[in-house]
Amino acid sequence: MVRLAAPAVVIALLIGLLAALAAAQEGVPLELETQVFEIGRKLRCPACTAESVADSNAQIAIRMRQEIQELLAEGRTETEIIAHFQNIYGDFVLLEPPKRGLLLWVWLLPLAVAALGVGLLVLYLRRWTRAASAPIEASEAELARVREALSDELPPGGTT
Amino acid sequence: MIRVAVVLGVSALLGSLFLFGLLRGRPDRDIPSNLLGRELPTFTMPLYERYQAGYGPEFAIDDHSSKPQVINFWASWCVPCYTEAPELEEAWRNHGDQVLFVGIQTQDPSRRAEGRAFLEQFDLSFPNGFDDDSAIAVSFGLFGVPETFFVRADGTLAHRHTGPVTAALLEEMIAELQP
Repeated sequence: MVRLAAPAVVIALLIGLLAALAAAQEGVPLELETQVFEIGRKLRCPACTAESVADSNAQIAIRMRQEIQELLAEGRTETEIIAHFQNIYGDFVLLEPPKRGLLLWVWLLPLAVAALGVGLLVLYLRRWTRAASAPIEASEAELARVREALSDELPPGGTT
Repeated sequence: MIRVAVVLGVSALLGSLFLFGLLRGRPDRDIPSNLLGRELPTFTMPLYERYQAGYGPEFAIDDHSSKPQVINFWASWCVPCYTEAPELEEAWRNHGDQVLFVGIQTQDPSRRAEGRAFLEQFDLSFPNGFDDDSAIAVSFGLFGVPETFFVRADGTLAHRHTGPVTAALLEEMIAELQP
């Protein structure tokens, strides 16, 4: 009887231990954690070269994620949280440059270059197709020279 | 003819960009702070033992707000921090009666032994504490270490310097902070 009970007790203890570990890891609700990382992906880690607050493990990025979590728990919106960090770090902290002022060119320039490229391509294609389909104009003298050149190349008795 | 002009124009543009990149020298180290001219956040931090006799175990910047301040962020792994430490100590010894110097170890969590060794190596006598969770660093809009914030007596930020400070810069900024 004791032999049968011992493995059951061990299994029950293991299950209890695993449940306790899972509960300990559930410190932050999954939805809140997801929101923290969603907002973190829009913010640049100030101490990194080109990493977001969500991706970086730098001390500053960890602290910023903690602040995002605290602000979300206080009921602040994503816009308010981003504005909070923008207030401290300026536009530098935004991974997507704001669509205003000088930074508007960052958004408009690629569109303008793409439009210019498409325009040039259309222009070139139209000129090329027009040139290919246009009738060839030649004077009588030029035609005579062509005929003469061809007759020289053709074997005797050949036709044009 | 037009093609030649376009090729020459584009080559000249790329060439001048290349030369600009080569000749412009070191980039400007002073990143303007968004907090410039604004009141800096207050903070409290635990102090290293050697300063506790003079300032207590916790240092609250609010308790010393009557004087201009030079707030320096450092880390024990940061090589330029070792370059500037003697300059900071000398400026503090010369101007400590007019300006408060504060050192904050940040981005260096729980490295107490290394922090103590750093402070002892340069015999830093102005109060130094630690910001283990980088909360003070984020509230100051810190990018890295070393960074030094020059704060007027009214609590507003006069200048933020990124990189190691020099004796000349400290003298210039301390003179500017005087009322």
